Amino acid sequence: MKISVQWLKDFVDMAPPVLRIADRLTLAGLEVKKVESDGAARDTTFEIEITSNRPDWLSHLGVAREIAAIESLSLKSHSLDPETGRTPPSGWNLDIKDSKGCPYYTGVLIEGISEFKTPDFMARRLLACGIRSINLIVDITNYVLLEYGQPLHAFDADLIRGKEILIRKARAGEKLIAINGATLQLHSEDLVIADSERVVALAGVMGGQETEISERSRNVFLESAFFDPGRVRRTSRRHQISSDSSYRFERRVDPEAVDAGRQRALALIKQYAKPRHISACIKAGEKPRLEVPTLHLRDDEVRDTLGCEVKPAQIASILTRLGCDVKQHAPGSWKVSVPSFRADLQRSIDLVEEVARIFGYNSIPETLPARPPIAVTENPRLKLEKKIRQYLSGAGLHETVTFSLVAEQGLDPVKDLGTGVKIINPLQHGLHWMRPTMITSLLNVIRKNVNAGADSVAIFEIANLYRMPDKGKHPAEDRTCAIALYGKKAAQTWCDAARSLNFYDLKGYVEALIAAAGCQELCVAKIEKSYFSPGRAQEIRAWQTPIAFLGEISSSLLREWDLKAPVFYAEISLENLVKHAQPNRPFIDWPRYPAIERDLSLIVKDDVLCGSLMQEIRGLGEGLIRDVKLFDLFRGKRIPEGYKNLAFRIVYQSPERTLISDQVQKLHDRIAEILVKKYEATFQK
Amino acid sequence: MIEEIRKIRESAQAELQGIDSPESLEAFRLLYLGKKGRLPDLFKKFGSIPPEQRKEVGAELNRVKEWIESSVAEMRGKLGSSDGVRESFDPTLPGIPPHSGSIHILQQTIEEITTLYARMGFETVEGPEIETEFHNFTALNIPLDHPSRDSFDTFYTDKGQLLRSQTSTVQIRIMQARKPPLRIIAPGRVYRPDTVDASHSFMFHQIEGLMVDEKVTFSDLKGVLHLFLRELFGSEIKIRFRPHFFPFTEPSVEVDIQWGKGWMEILGAGSVDPNVFDAVGYDKSRVRGFAFGLGVERIAMIRHGITDIRHFYENDLRFLRQFA
Repeated sequence: MKISVQWLKDFVDMAPPVLRIADRLTLAGLEVKKVESDGAARDTTFEIEITSNRPDWLSHLGVAREIAAIESLSLKSHSLDPETGRTPPSGWNLDIKDSKGCPYYTGVLIEGISEFKTPDFMARRLLACGIRSINLIVDITNYVLLEYGQPLHAFDADLIRGKEILIRKARAGEKLIAINGATLQLHSEDLVIADSERVVALAGVMGGQETEISERSRNVFLESAFFDPGRVRRTSRRHQISSDSSYRFERRVDPEAVDAGRQRALALIKQYAKPRHISACIKAGEKPRLEVPTLHLRDDEVRDTLGCEVKPAQIASILTRLGCDVKQHAPGSWKVSVPSFRADLQRSIDLVEEVARIFGYNSIPETLPARPPIAVTENPRLKLEKKIRQYLSGAGLHETVTFSLVAEQGLDPVKDLGTGVKIINPLQHGLHWMRPTMITSLLNVIRKNVNAGADSVAIFEIANLYRMPDKGKHPAEDRTCAIALYGKKAAQTWCDAARSLNFYDLKGYVEALIAAAGCQELCVAKIEKSYFSPGRAQEIRAWQTPIAFLGEISSSLLREWDLKAPVFYAEISLENLVKHAQPNRPFIDWPRYPAIERDLSLIVKDDVLCGSLMQEIRGLGEGLIRDVKLFDLFRGKRIPEGYKNLAFRIVYQSPERTLISDQVQKLHDRIAEILVKKYEATFQK
Repeated sequence: MIEEIRKIRESAQAELQGIDSPESLEAFRLLYLGKKGRLPDLFKKFGSIPPEQRKEVGAELNRVKEWIESSVAEMRGKLGSSDGVRESFDPTLPGIPPHSGSIHILQQTIEEITTLYARMGFETVEGPEIETEFHNFTALNIPLDHPSRDSFDTFYTDKGQLLRSQTSTVQIRIMQARKPPLRIIAPGRVYRPDTVDASHSFMFHQIEGLMVDEKVTFSDLKGVLHLFLRELFGSEIKIRFRPHFFPFTEPSVEVDIQWGKGWMEILGAGSVDPNVFDAVGYDKSRVRGFAFGLGVERIAMIRHGITDIRHFYENDLRFLRQFA
């Protein structure tokens, strides 16, 4: 909201400079975002930002009151119309049918307006606050809104049918063409102003076009009322209309300002519109009272909350300046009556905040809590996450942060979305789902980088995946680490050639990560998932618990994402990994006796699994094999079609003695012999 | 056969002494290990020796082969060449960059902040992102008809849950589960249906802090926050405390840091509102507390001069690499 400094001076004599005033307001919680001076108008405006608990600041009077409180100044009063010696408008009927929606409604009939020119000062001030001049009567209602914070509405009285004003709920099928031209289909919860025939205004939100004040209007019905904040807010939201009126009503207007605002408007109308006749005010309902008009505040509550002493006299003075009526209740305790415009003050703690605000937050000392240490246990999963991040980033992967909301594209409609968590009010791009996998998020990152010219994308993310559990209503959140690899393993340098990332790079990352967590006793199983190429995916389990799965992304998904090279993707369940992790891994000493290495190169059929051979070798090792490595794999050339050559390096080592070369050779030969028989293997010639 | 092997070993030993260049080493290697070299020659004859001798001969052959191989490798190291051609050493050739990745700058920021608070005894905790209205609003003293409960300001699931719009939910979860005293810090993702632009995102990260004890004051809150901001932005940083409004704290405060010529809002905080203690079943006459919340993106943007929040979620490698 914009506030004119010149206008404020109607209410309070401020000591310059204005920048100091702006600063003090900000430090009292009424934030002045911007100060602009207009040389031509000899005015300065404050752009203020108001917290939702302080609707009383939404006016010049409200801001002036705050300045008076901070600066210990007195507030000047204004010329209000006394409304005495008048008679009610004859034949007019006012009735509230929904007193919850409208507890208090007042109106005045003004007849025979003879002047139509908005005075310069008024037009200028309105403009300074961002409102353009329309016509005198409307300008006066806007002026009072900005001055007192009380929204008024003026109807062309000649267009009100049946001399009747009803405040009621809208009926099914009723419509209103609002001043802004929109045709509104009214809802039965909408509070409206109606005459004897139709709806003429959406209460507190916007008037109707048919009864709008125009240049030809001579007779005016002026409304000043208190509408229920919740009702106005819901109606405003329902019809997506926010006006200066609804903005104030939905935050609660000062009930006292209903009368004061009307009287101020009448004074201005009398002076500038020169009407022939003004009726007495007709009223319905009662001004709502504060729920808690009186509070008690103890000096020690102020001290214990803030951590510093504020003198009792200062407490009383601050609250008095803020418009409260403060009386000593008992030693060290005050009885505080709250003004009508401060519905936010409902508890003693609210008064403590008021004292602190005006005392100055920056005058309160800084201390550090003098409390004994308490036991802090580190969440083992968070510790593991830290380790994984360090491990994977050290190994060349970049951590990403992608949105948890995803579109349907690429997800399995049954397996993923069948137990998916759906958002009913997504913002954009059909991002309807809390993601059940990070696959599409990471494919998006890969595509984006590839389009930007990257030839290698190796990324990981640690985040939650979401699903509806079999039992229970609340969604489950599974902490997961996802890895995706695309393109070159490393850029070519003058020393090394580039090579493409493959499934086994991914497998290496996953295995190393699981090993780094200290998780053992793993087994591997083939699995199928809709987004992996058939037969090119596997699951890693520890004690039957699935720890991770990995695979090559299917060609159809690659096409959808317009990717030319394969993508390898893995997900590791951190919930399951941490269950099988060893946080304090025991040290394992290594054998002190020398090791002997022997190579074994076998030609086997293509369908013989390397893993079976390695397992077999270890099993035959009589406890003397410390390590088996596959160091070469090749096909073609001298290898027959349908066969492959696997070359293993076997490390023989005993924890108890020095192995003799001959013994090792004997064992090695035996292993070779058995493999040859069992797997129909041959040696390379 | 054994005799032949011995001869080879002896001649090789003698020749090795004379090697003084990569070229002569390569010649030596070819002579003994090359395809038509002396050792492969012997291996070829292996088939013709009597079976009962094979084991012994095989072992001896392997030993000599291994010895010659390791001698060649050792010599190669001494002569400083890999393929037989002596290279001139060019110290200006570019170094080979290690193949390293990066931890996301938001995560780095979170870790830095939680570590700072860990030093003050705050334990890092977490809570669910999919939440109930009770934890996200009601318990936090946000009235039923408050605008933030609208579907314009909060994402809802088809089962009636919501995506937390603030990490303050974790305060509630922890207080429900534990007795005071408490010192916790809770980082995590939060969601609000804001249209994405340079300064808004519908998902971002917050860190919530909470301390509850018998005697905790607003002055303690000021002290802790000032210490934290000094550690984060340097000891010269100027800060100010500005009254504000949050439903779950009273008094409430926003903290600004001096940045350039003006002030920049950096976090929100306050003393825990007694209604919040009521909601979690704490005796509000016996405990006091303070809470604070800060936006991780905002802090990272300020510290690193990032002007567009979208960089964090686009994960362009040119962005990620800068924070390795």
